This record gives sequence, structure tokens and C-alpha cells, in this order.
Amino acid sequence: MPRAVKGVLVECDPSIKALILSIDSKSHNIVLADLDDEHLLIDVPMLEHVKRQLDSQLAENTFKPAELDDIQRK
Amino acid sequence: MSVPKFRTSINDFLEGLPETVLIRLFYSPATCLAIFRLLPAMAQLFIMAMLFNDKPVAATDLNLWVQEGSTSKQYDALEKLRGMHLVKQSQGMLTLQKTFRAGLRNALSGGDHNNSFGIPCDTEDKHKVDIEFLDEHANNQWELILHFMVGTDTGKIPNNGVLSLLRHSGLMEGSTPANMRITNAGFQFLLQDVNAQIWTLLLQYLNMSEDLHMDAVEVLHFLFMLGSLELGQDYSLAALSPTQKIMLDDLRDYGIVYQRKSSSRRFYPTRLATTLTSDTGALLTASASMDSAIAQKERDTGFVILETNFKVYAYTDSPLQIAVLNLFVHLRSRFANMVTGQISRESVRKALSNGITADQIVTYLTVHAHPQMRKSTPLLPPTVVDQIRLWQLEMERMKAVEGYLYSDFSSKSEYDTIAGYARDLGVMTWEKPNKRMFFVSKEGNQQIVDFVRRKVHSGA
Repeated sequence: MPRAVKGVLVECDPSIKALILSIDSKSHNIVLADLDDEHLLIDVPMLEHVKRQLDSQLAENTFKPAELDDIQRK
Repeated sequence: MSVPKFRTSINDFLEGLPETVLIRLFYSPATCLAIFRLLPAMAQLFIMAMLFNDKPVAATDLNLWVQEGSTSKQYDALEKLRGMHLVKQSQGMLTLQKTFRAGLRNALSGGDHNNSFGIPCDTEDKHKVDIEFLDEHANNQWELILHFMVGTDTGKIPNNGVLSLLRHSGLMEGSTPANMRITNAGFQFLLQDVNAQIWTLLLQYLNMSEDLHMDAVEVLHFLFMLGSLELGQDYSLAALSPTQKIMLDDLRDYGIVYQRKSSSRRFYPTRLATTLTSDTGALLTASASMDSAIAQKERDTGFVILETNFKVYAYTDSPLQIAVLNLFVHLRSRFANMVTGQISRESVRKALSNGITADQIVTYLTVHAHPQMRKSTPLLPPTVVDQIRLWQLEMERMKAVEGYLYSDFSSKSEYDTIAGYARDLGVMTWEKPNKRMFFVSKEGNQQIVDFVRRKVHSGA
């Protein structure tokens, strides 16, 4: 008898997958199953949280020339 | 680019009309000429070949006119002609629609008795206005609408007709002028060039006029007539039908025509009207095309410099241009004749989340590039263009589908039957046969559950 698990299938490139796994490593309540290099099954209510976290992490990882300019001016 | 898209959309509108309505349209030579000008070059060639030839032409004869390898263009052109009921095909012979043939001949060789090209006023206007005045008037009226859309505080609010058109077309939402806000469609509208913007609004006006029980044929006649009028000439209201007089009031609000008073017996078309159906290369008279070429040089020279370091310098003092730039540029300082800013990840993401696409940004920057930029090829720094596109891709880095993951199948054959069923239904989004797992979208899950139950029951 097969088993069905409710969730959200996330398709992304491996770098994003690594980021999601690292977000999950803090609380372990997001990722339900690690399917393959580009697919993850995550908990439905956590999807928005993951998207927000991902956005802020990616924002941290980008170079912001605008702010740099402001700092130099001061 | 946006222009061809909108050209085709007025064409699409015409193609959508029933044949009887189209034939009524063809009674006006001005409309025939305007329709002719809106057609692709290949279709124009075919029409010219048939125009002064009363006998039907064999469809195979057209092949001689077309280079080998352009058959798809030939097909498109013929489709278009048939779609607009301009050409009839029977037993391999093509005939030009009778009324259209008469109308276009009339337009080209004169002898128009319908006054479809408008009647110039024969009396001298005591308050004569010149072309500069008309240009300024058209610009002011049109920019008033655009300023209102971007929310610049000019202290003036467009007339109710304009407001309801903006609301009706979904470019803005809100019930009172004070709380009207621009929508995503509105942002995209702002990034188009003026000609495309006018057509967008006029097509909406056409849709709205049907609701108001105005005759679409008369509305179209009038629009196409405006496209063939001469700038700086005053025209008499005498030839207009009652519907068209009502339209005149609305068009005055958009700056497409100028009337000194609403009771005035004459009107002037502005440049917005006379360029409606023309490319710059296909203006009605030599003098008009000269004028517009000069005006283009003065008015439409680009003002935006984009550097490889994502910095933007825009030589403009127009609040409207600045507001549009502000949609996707992080503006830093403003000087008397220029603004400086920076394209950043945040500023582009803000634009993207407003529904503006990376391509629209790139097109806008290309069209408005400063002459200094035109010396370099490619025009825009490729690094910046690529990065803007990458930022758009980044917005879509994660694809999420809600549904159910099936696993723990007891045998390979069980997996194969159920997975096969899901695949046939087209509800499977992912599978991994060697681990015996697959994923089904939420919508398709119930069918799979039922299928599994039936299987278990019949098996037990």
C-alpha cells in the first residue's frame, strides 16, 4: 500500500537547494524530503517563510554598489 | 518593440469585425487609405498589383512577385487580406473587394465626394493658431494625463471622460480622482512610445463607445480621417455626424484635436492625430514629413546615458520622464537639467514586481539613449543588459507546485501501474522510478487516490 505525503514540490537549481537546506538546518521543520539535486518536498505552510528567507539571504549575498558609494562619501 | 504590436492590435480589431461592418467602413476613401497604410508591406504590394486591374488575378501569379524563401510572409499577407475581407479567393482566383477597390482608387486619384478627408474651413479664423501652438497644446494635454497617472502634483486633474477611460482600460483603479492609483498595466503603458499609448487608449475608447451605443463604424471613420488630416489646417465641423461631434469633445481632452471653444465651428488636428496611421517614413505630404523629421530631432533626441557601472545620467527636467525613470532606477541627485541615479538589484526588482519586464526596461533605455551613446555598438553596455535580464531570472529561481508525494510502493509492478496512470492523466510533475516515488499536483490527486482504492479493493 503506497503512502501519500502532502507538500510543496520545489524545483530549483542546486545552489538554491543548498540555501533552503541551510535555512531548514536551524529548525528542521521545513524540508519533508530531499528528493534529488533539483527537487525538494517542503511543508505547505512554510513555503512563504522559505521564500522570504531566501530573498533576504540572496539580498545579503549581493554586492550593493549604491550603499558602497554612500559610505565612501561619508 | 511595442509599436508593431499595437499596429497589429488595431489590425486585429479590424479583423474581428464582421464583413458587413467592414464593407460599411470601406465606403470612406480616407478609411481605405488608412487601412492600406496599416497593412504589412507584402500585403500592400498585392493590393497595388490588383488595384487598377478589374479582372481577377490567379493566386499562382502572386508567387512570381515573391522571392523564394519568403513564402511564409506571402502566406501571412494573404491571410491578413482575407481576414479583413479585402480579398476574395475562389477557384484559385483572387479578387479585390469591390467597395475597397473603389474607395482606395478614389483616395489615390482624387474625386472623393464623401468629404471623408475632412473639409478645410473656407473662412479665415480670427484666432488662427500655428503649428507650435498645436504641438504645445497636444503635449500639455497628453502629459497632463501621464502626469496624473504617475501622481505628479500639477494641481490639475484631467476631465471626467479621461478618468473614466483610464479606469475602464484598467490602467488606473479607484473611484475618485484623489484615490485613483496606477495599476501594473498602467506602468507598462507608461514605458511605451506616444503613438502606441494613443492607440491603446483609442482602442479602449472604441470598446467603451460600443457600450455607449455609439456606432463603431462612425468612430473608426473619424479616427482614420484624423490620421489623414494636415497639421496646421483648420477643418469645419459641418461634415461631422452627431456621434463624431460627441467624439470631438472627448478627443479634445486627450489633446488629439484642438478647439478654441466647444461651440467653435472649426477644429485643428494636432500632431498626435496626424501621425495616427503613419510611420514617420510614410507621412501624408512632403512638408508634413519634413516638419516631423525636424520636430523629432528636437523633441525626441534621447537623453539617457547608461554606463557600464550601472550609473544613469538623464538630461531631462521633465517631471514625467523622471517619474518614469524612477520606476526602475534608484535616483540619487537632481540638477537643473539632469538627474543621476543607479540601476540596482532593488530598483529593478521593484520594477519587476510591478509587472514591468526586463525587456521593457531595455527597450526604454534603447529608445531614449543619448546621441553620445549611439556612437558605441552595442548601444547599451551588455553587462548591464545581461544583469537586468539575470535579475528577472532570479525572481523565478524557485518553482513551487503544491500536491502529494507518493512513496513506499510494495512492488515495482504496483509502482508502474499507478505511476503509469498518473502519467497518462498528465498530473505527474516529477518522478524517480528507481526510488519508486512520484509527485502529483493537488488538482489531480483525488483521481489517483480513487484509482489506488479501486486497485486495493480488487486486489484484496
